[in-house]
Amino acid sequence: MEILLQLIYSGIALGMIYAVIAFGYQLTFATSDTLNFGQGEALMLGALVGLTLVDSLGVNYWLAIPVVGAFGMLQGALVERIGVRPAIKIKSEFGWIMSTIALGIIFKNVAENIWGRDDLKFPSPLPEAPMKILGANVLPMELLVIAGALVMMLAVEFFNRKTIYGKAVVATFNDRDAAKLMGINTGLVITFSYALSSLTASFAGVLIAPLTLTGATMGAVLGLKAFAVAIIGGLTSGMGIIVGGIILGVAETTTGFYISTGYKDVPGLVLLLLVLAVKPAGLFGKPAIKKV
Amino acid sequence: MIRTLKLTAIASMMFAAGLATAADTIKIGVTGPYTGGSSSMGVSMRDGVRLAAQEINKAGGVLGKQIQLVERDDEAKNERGVQIAQELINKEQVVATMGFINTGVALASQRFYQEAKIPVFNNVATGSIVTQQFKAPEFPDNYIFRNAAHDSIQAPMIVEEAITRRGFKKVAILADSTNYGQLGRDDLEKALAAKGVKAVAVEKFNVKDVDMTAQLLKAKEAGAEVILTYAIGPELAQIANGMTKLGWKVPMIGSWTLSMANFIDNAGPGGEGARMPQTFIQEPNTMKRKAFIDSYLKTFKPKNNRIDSPVSAAQGYDSVYLLTAAIKQAGTTEGPKVREALENLQTKVEGVVTTYDKPFTHDDHEAITANIPVFGEVKGSRVVYAYEEDRKKGSDIRTKVAKQPAKK
Repeated sequence: MEILLQLIYSGIALGMIYAVIAFGYQLTFATSDTLNFGQGEALMLGALVGLTLVDSLGVNYWLAIPVVGAFGMLQGALVERIGVRPAIKIKSEFGWIMSTIALGIIFKNVAENIWGRDDLKFPSPLPEAPMKILGANVLPMELLVIAGALVMMLAVEFFNRKTIYGKAVVATFNDRDAAKLMGINTGLVITFSYALSSLTASFAGVLIAPLTLTGATMGAVLGLKAFAVAIIGGLTSGMGIIVGGIILGVAETTTGFYISTGYKDVPGLVLLLLVLAVKPAGLFGKPAIKKV
Repeated sequence: MIRTLKLTAIASMMFAAGLATAADTIKIGVTGPYTGGSSSMGVSMRDGVRLAAQEINKAGGVLGKQIQLVERDDEAKNERGVQIAQELINKEQVVATMGFINTGVALASQRFYQEAKIPVFNNVATGSIVTQQFKAPEFPDNYIFRNAAHDSIQAPMIVEEAITRRGFKKVAILADSTNYGQLGRDDLEKALAAKGVKAVAVEKFNVKDVDMTAQLLKAKEAGAEVILTYAIGPELAQIANGMTKLGWKVPMIGSWTLSMANFIDNAGPGGEGARMPQTFIQEPNTMKRKAFIDSYLKTFKPKNNRIDSPVSAAQGYDSVYLLTAAIKQAGTTEGPKVREALENLQTKVEGVVTTYDKPFTHDDHEAITANIPVFGEVKGSRVVYAYEEDRKKGSDIRTKVAKQPAKK
């Protein structure tokens, strides 16, 4: 029983790492129907900028977060202007896929030149000794990641439902042309959503870096797993991301223990295929009906 | 027969033409991962090679020519290694190539050198089959040499340390899913079987995995008293960190990669006490070693005066001296002649790992034998001698034992 509890704890912590990254996918999808496939790289840049601030410049971890967030917004806006806007303008279905992937590779190479390609240690802002909760161990840092994911979910839901800007975002998603006629600057809304998406990614980077090691190549695997979470949970639901993350994380740890560590990635991917086959909008997603 | 002769003639003419254009230098390829997870080994190896080449060039070079290193980053990727091999052979026309940190890359790339009859000096890669790839009788001559402690030395050493010296009965094996990890796991299981022990848990993980809970819990539930590892730095650090998280601490004993700086730094206190076989420990206990360590620290200024991977640096350094000794003896840079000279080296080569006295024969291309490595231990973020008696006798040079037990 204690074992299962430990596996579930670790699975949830792992899933929340995926979830905080997955939010970024959702934010851009919510306005422009596009995804930033450089999400993993935005995460990596956030973590490395945070590391430079904390480790080299001696900035307090908590104070570094807003700086990293501002950096993330700039980076996201840049991606949108260079990579996504031209594709949307010419109504290219797939141009943005290529350009966001290409930009991701460029960011990775830049990071390799600045920070090197070795994995670095991110000093933990919280004690590194584990705490015992109901007989199983949890790291304080893991609790922080869980809290961060929940806060992000609430903030995104609040923003979309309660604020006028959020309504503009939702309107842009529902019908871009109609929104434009209503006086919404849809171009700006889309840029803003990319900025917001990279902000969450870089925030996620600083949040998870003390747990995962930090380096130019950290984004690739995590970005991919987060994408799976976004698909499983649904690209339109904040709740879905959290649940999807937990499902994937717990599936990984329990399969690793009860079946074989060699197969730990399999159930998550099988689930991904199942979701795509049965409920393509994701477990919590609203199916979008497109009238052509 | 006549055709092959013709081809050889053409080939040697082309070779001579190639030499004529670059007659003033001797080009030696250096390949390894200078970036990525195994870069601490790659960069230390390269720096050791640079240091030796510098010294030799200062002293007048080899055969009156200066050594020119052609360095290439293989990024620990098999396909990059293959590209580099072709570039070094066909475009750069190197005399020999040294390096290879990753067993997989070595296995993928070596065949091009073998076909071109250009010697390869593995100074870090440890997979047992690296030098066996082109063994007699299928291949009359083998161009692959090594001066690193291969896994069939390391695995029994690790098992000896865990089972015999420290008396552990229940062991768990954790290895990554690369060639290196899985070949090493195989060697470990064989070595355990020789002692009549079966591992209570054998687990694997992928490079870049961030959570080791499942693997560690399985080992813990099986009652493991010690964890034997075969992986590289960052993932080894995740194992140590995972143990801290579970509040479960058993000793880690593993392949020499536990001495990597990115393990020691990322694991922090969790990595203290980890033990691994080492051919070289950064301790100036002989004149030669002191000179090497001093000039390495002076030239490359590593952080905290700690060589990132002392073993790689030392083996890289020695490999250049071994190769140049052979070129001197052969009096030429032609691959087959250099190979023959290496297999029958007349001069003793004093290196920092050991003194090489006839290190190779036609059928034995391993310079390091089981008696040479000692156990190192992570202590205060450095690798030191694990046993006091080894430290005291550190200045005694352990030389190769001529007759090796037959190995598969």
